[in-house]
Amino acid sequence: MPDCQHQWEMTHIEFGFLIFEKCSQPYSLRTYFSEKSHPMLGEKYRDGKCDWTVMENAQSFLFDLKCKKCNLLEDFRNVMGFMYCTGCLPDCEVEILQRKYESEKKWVVVAFGFLPKDREHAIPAEKLKILEDYFNQRRDTSRSTIAVLSYDLIEDFSRCKGDFIHDVGMLSLEPPGEKKTPF
Amino acid sequence: MTTKELIENLSLKPLSKFDHREITGVFVSDMLSDVMAGAKSGDIWVTVQTHKSIIPAANLVDVSAVVITSKKQVPPDTSDLASKHGIALLWTELPTFEFVGKLYALGLMTT
Repeated sequence: MPDCQHQWEMTHIEFGFLIFEKCSQPYSLRTYFSEKSHPMLGEKYRDGKCDWTVMENAQSFLFDLKCKKCNLLEDFRNVMGFMYCTGCLPDCEVEILQRKYESEKKWVVVAFGFLPKDREHAIPAEKLKILEDYFNQRRDTSRSTIAVLSYDLIEDFSRCKGDFIHDVGMLSLEPPGEKKTPF
Repeated sequence: MTTKELIENLSLKPLSKFDHREITGVFVSDMLSDVMAGAKSGDIWVTVQTHKSIIPAANLVDVSAVVITSKKQVPPDTSDLASKHGIALLWTELPTFEFVGKLYALGLMTT
């Protein structure tokens, strides 16, 4: 239905765990989604040239969006989550846009594909627009709106102190400590 | 019911600056992923989570208010961020179970 003014709803929601792994030398990050928790935070293992360390094990979810009117299904399984920009780097493109949009009451979130960034995991602009439409269609936009930006705008993840909107330490018997960036 | 009426009815303590708005339902969860996937615009979100990450999640799903239950201490950076986004951050010493019972008695339910 090419003329459909799509009304998006979340569907195929799959709860699970987002695993962050880091290699220090050379610096690299990778993430993947798992149905099961990774119990060994801090565990190191060798893979290729890297010694990978499991940095974080966060509860998160995968989803798709479906149009309520025409049933068009859009696959968002390559979105690993959303990050709130804390404004840590004044020269970061995300922070520059965040400052620009703030006066318009347009709030910024960064949609992340799985790391490392590559063609397979990149989130195309049209998908970002659909995400933006989804969040804005379900809110009172006379008060504020949402802008969904791509993680490609973040030049250097190692300096980013953004705050992922996901659950860390929820399965631990210990009370949660200060939340740290997985980067 | 509006956030103003809810605050008056249940003696909630506002922790942020916000404009009052209509409440359309209730969502109870301590997990951000749960809220992102399940809460609806206009819901009040009842939680014991106080980390500032609750505010971007609340903003993204457009809840009408976040209510922190069970006397949990709320860090200043959480209430500051709520004010910046105009999110109603409310506080009660009631445990979640008791607070939700009062919401039910007021006619508020899960949508």
